[in-house]
Parts: sequence; structure tokens; C-alpha cells
Amino acid sequence: MADQAIEVSALSYSYGDIKAVDGVSFSVAPGEILGFLGPNGAGKSTTIKMLTGQLQPESGSIRILGMSHADQREHIQAKMGVCFEEKNLYEAMSGEENLRFFASLFGIKGVDTDQMLRRVGLGDRAGDRVAKYSKGMRQRLMMARTLVNSPDVLFLDEPTDGLDPVSAKAIRMLIQQEAERGAAVLLTTHDMHEADELSDRVAFISEGRLHAVDAPENLKLQFGERSVKVRVRTGDGVDERAIALDDSSAADFLKSAVESDGLMTIHTEEATLEAIFIEMTGRGLEG
Amino acid sequence: MSLARTLEVLKKDLQLGPRSPIFLWVLLLPLLITFVLQVTFGDLFDPQPRLGIVDQGSSAITTEVGEMSGIALTVLDDVDDLKTQVEANDLDAGLVLPDGFDDAVRSGARPPLEFYVGGESLASNRVILAVTTLDMVRQVEGKAPPVEVDVVSLGDELLPLSVRLVPFVVMYALLIAAVFLPSFSIADEREKHTLDALVVTPVKLSEVVAAKGVLGFGLAVAMAVATLWLNGALSVQAIALLVVLVIAGLLLTEIGLIYGTASKDVTGVFTLIKGTGFILLAPTIFYIFPDWPQWIAKLFPTYWVINPVYEVVINGAGLGTVWGELAIAAAVIVVMIVPLRYLIGRLETKLAIAA
Repeated sequence: MADQAIEVSALSYSYGDIKAVDGVSFSVAPGEILGFLGPNGAGKSTTIKMLTGQLQPESGSIRILGMSHADQREHIQAKMGVCFEEKNLYEAMSGEENLRFFASLFGIKGVDTDQMLRRVGLGDRAGDRVAKYSKGMRQRLMMARTLVNSPDVLFLDEPTDGLDPVSAKAIRMLIQQEAERGAAVLLTTHDMHEADELSDRVAFISEGRLHAVDAPENLKLQFGERSVKVRVRTGDGVDERAIALDDSSAADFLKSAVESDGLMTIHTEEATLEAIFIEMTGRGLEG
Repeated sequence: MSLARTLEVLKKDLQLGPRSPIFLWVLLLPLLITFVLQVTFGDLFDPQPRLGIVDQGSSAITTEVGEMSGIALTVLDDVDDLKTQVEANDLDAGLVLPDGFDDAVRSGARPPLEFYVGGESLASNRVILAVTTLDMVRQVEGKAPPVEVDVVSLGDELLPLSVRLVPFVVMYALLIAAVFLPSFSIADEREKHTLDALVVTPVKLSEVVAAKGVLGFGLAVAMAVATLWLNGALSVQAIALLVVLVIAGLLLTEIGLIYGTASKDVTGVFTLIKGTGFILLAPTIFYIFPDWPQWIAKLFPTYWVINPVYEVVINGAGLGTVWGELAIAAAVIVVMIVPLRYLIGRLETKLAIAA
């Protein structure tokens, strides 16, 4: 077993004259969630298509679970799960039939579809045709389908895009459970809060190039200010101060604030992922 | 290529089939066309005049007519039943032969003879049955006809139109299942992005395409057999018929797969079929108009499968007669593998680079 579930080195791909992915390198360890952040057209989908074996890289190398698509594509596909942004289910089939069919493609007989559907909250809709499912239900079925072969590597493309908060939360919980099980997860998303909440590390991609791959906390520390904002109630109002943590008097001030009866809040002044992304790439995550 | 995975995709398509309008259309349309043509022309392969006889004695006429190959005879017991069947156009004409009719004719007694004619029967059938009946009566009477009839054939010797339509009906049954079904199925999966979901599993696109082909081919052969059976034509050369239908099914299925993999969506398939459907069906038109230069039909690839069907079904030919044409059809099938493989590869790339 390889140390890294996904290993990508100097990966490049062009559509004609347009360089979609330009020398991208990163890795994802088993049990790790890597958030792949970037705006539309940044190169996220092209990278995933190369990782899933749909596109042949122009240059660079990919190893999934220590294997290469060039000679072990079938083995890799047997161990990976892909969740698309597009809801590409068989609508004339029931949820259960969809799962059973996809399990059969992996050579899995006697799959426990009831348990899988219960896991995504569709236990009572197993026999209903997908055409009757809501958007959130379809997305949850997509996740169940992605997990039908208990994959070691998961590629999730905007899995919560446009979902209601309840469905989105259910899907985030599933992603975390899969990572805890040991699956390596590559998660593309526009949603910085989701990336921040779920990802062990995030990768910033823009115009085909990776600008950073690091833990969200590290990036925030690196790009945020080492300061806290303290609000203390005083006799005639509220005193709000930004305290630089590197200041020699900071410790005394914070101690006295904590001991005072008027302390209201202390907030760290860390940067958001979106702000860091903009600072690094000069572009926002939307659009 | 995994047979197990191909079968799984095939099972899924069979499961989805009855829920798809295209699938039902494939099953019903050839039967509907057969029905319409039967109503219009009578049985396509059995356009004989239908005569009903109520023989109240034991007339030699009944025996004689029964032995004639060109008339479909039904012997009934009841006159009212006879009238009902003629009226309902189940019979073209009905004849009531009273007890002792033959003796009365021979004695020159001029006995009455009731001859009922169906209002909806074809005029040609009425004439044939009337003339045959008079001829039979004259034979019973034992006298030579008062005139000598000199029969002169004018114009070309043609098969009835209903028979000349047979290639069209069989071709349509094959075409709609072998071309329409796989092409629509592939384009539909592409349009709904379910193909994207399949190609990231261990199943290969070529296995998906093969499953669609097997379904189209199987249904095409089954529908062609069903159409022929409905018309009573599954007779003489059963093995030869099966071989020519299998080769015809393969050729047309390959065309269907090419259409499906070349089109980006269902509308694209419709456009292709509308644009080229005539070319596929064109050879069948030359059977309907036999005075057209027949060599033109040979320019169309489907001629090399429809003519063997025609020869086997209509002329009762065996494989020895049609092997040359079947060999050309097999060569066309082999040659078309090249564009099909290219199109499958191209589709794989297009699926990957699609947004």
C-alpha cells in the first residue's frame, strides 16, 4: 500500500491553445480530505478527469493507490468513487435499482441497498423512481452510489452545490465518515466554509496552476494577522480594541480583560479562506 | 472486454425497456404496419380468394375446390353462418350446394345455386370465385365449354403488390429495432450524462455500446421473425431464413451503433435517421416498382441483406442461392467496424472533455 492514496506530479493538460492544467502537483493521504478550491474554469474538473482516467494527461504523472491509469485503469476504477455535480442517475429506475446496477458493474453481488439508502436517509424511498426524488434526495442517492463499492479514493465534485442546509449537512457528515474509514477524499467546491469545515488541507487552483496546498489553519496563520479583537463593557459604553499578539503588553492586557467583569468577547483576527485565495490568486472563488 | 459487465448493462437496458416509449414503439410499430397492410391487402403472403361452401349433400364441387391450390376453402354446416362470415368479410364469397345438386345438374334440371358475395371483397377475388364455380358446375355437368378460351398474357408477369411489399415490411421491422433502439439508447444516455457515470466504473464504453447492440440485434431478429410469422411466411427454408435475418440484423445494428456514437443527443439521432432513413429503405422500393432499373438497388448497402431475405421468403431460395450476397453483406459489416471503433474512441474523448 502506498503512503499516499493520490500522487500527482507536474500534471498538465491543454484544450487546443488553452492551458487548462499547468504543472499541478499534490498528494492526498488515506483518510485525508483535500479541498480543491478554485473558480469555474480554474482547472478543477480537468484535473479530476485526469485523476479518474477519463482524460489522458499531456504530461506529468498520476498514481492512485500506487497504481497508474496507463496499465491498471480497471483496478483503479474498481477502488474509486466519483460523485458528479451533474445528477446523472437513471430516473426511470428506483433508488434501489440504481444502486444494485452500479454495484453489479463493480462485480458486487448481494449489495445491501437498504442499509446504503438508510445511511443517506432514503430508506423509505428505496422503491420510488428517481424521477420523483427532490434535488437533495438525488444528491444523497448520488453519494450512496459513489460509495457502493466502498472506495479507497473519493472524487467529489461540488457534492453539496445548491442543496438545502439539511441535505448539505447530511452529505458533509458522510464525507467525514468516509475519511474516518480511511478513504482519501478529493473535494472540489466553491464553498469556502465547507472546505474549511471538512478539509484537512486545501489546494488553491487558478488558471490551471496551484497556488497553495496547506492546512486551512496554516494558511490563516500565514495570511491572517496575529491579533485578537477584545470587546470590554466599560462604565459608559463598549471598549473595542485590536491587540497584536506579538506586542509585549498583549499578555497583561488580555489577563486584565479576562479578570474584569466587563469582558464581552475575544475574537481572533484570522483571514477567511476566500480572502487568502483572493490575495494569492488575484481572483475570487465565484465566477 | 468483459462479458459479465456487458450483460449487466444489457440487463439494465432490458429492465428499463418497458419504461421507455422508444422500446414500446420498436415493438408495436412493425406489428401495426403489418396490421394496416393486412387490412388493406389481406394476408401479405396469402392473398388467395376465400370461398365458403355449405354442402348439404356431397357435391364433387366441394372436393374439387378443396384440391385447388389457388383458393382458400372453408366448409361450413350452416347457411346463416356462411352469410355472416361473408358479410363480415371473413370470406370473399359463399356457395350453398343443395342436396342432390350434382345429380340435378347432370339431369339438366337447372337447380338453383345460391352464391353470396362479400360487399368488401376484392373485385378480382369475386371474379375468380365466380368463374371457378361456373367451371366446376360445367365439369359436374360433363359437357365441354361452348367456346375455346385462348389465354394470352399481357404485360410483365408480376407478383401481387402485397407480396412486393414484403421486403419493406421485414426491413422496417429490422430497421426500427436494430437502428433506432441502440442509437437512441446511446444518445439518451449521453444526453442525460449517465454515460459519464458509467465510464468512471470498471465498465468500458465499448461494453456499454456492445450491450446496446445486443439488445437492438436480438429485438430486430425477433421482430422480423414475428412479422413473418404473423403473415404465415415462416415456412420453407427456416435455417436459411434465420441466417439471412441474423446477417441483416448485424448490419443494421452496426449502423444503429454508428448513428448513436456519432450523435451528441437524441435530436442528432433523429436528424441522422431522417436524413439517411431513405437510403436504408431505398432497396425495398425497387421490389414495389420492378420496372425500375434494378441495378440501382445494389448501390445501397442494405440491398445485400434485404435481397437474401426476399429470395428466401418469397422465392423459397436456400443459402446456396444467396451466399454471394450474404458474403458481400458480411464484408460490409467487417469494414464498418473501423468507423464504429473510431466513433467509440471519439465519444470517449468527448465525454471526458465535455463540461
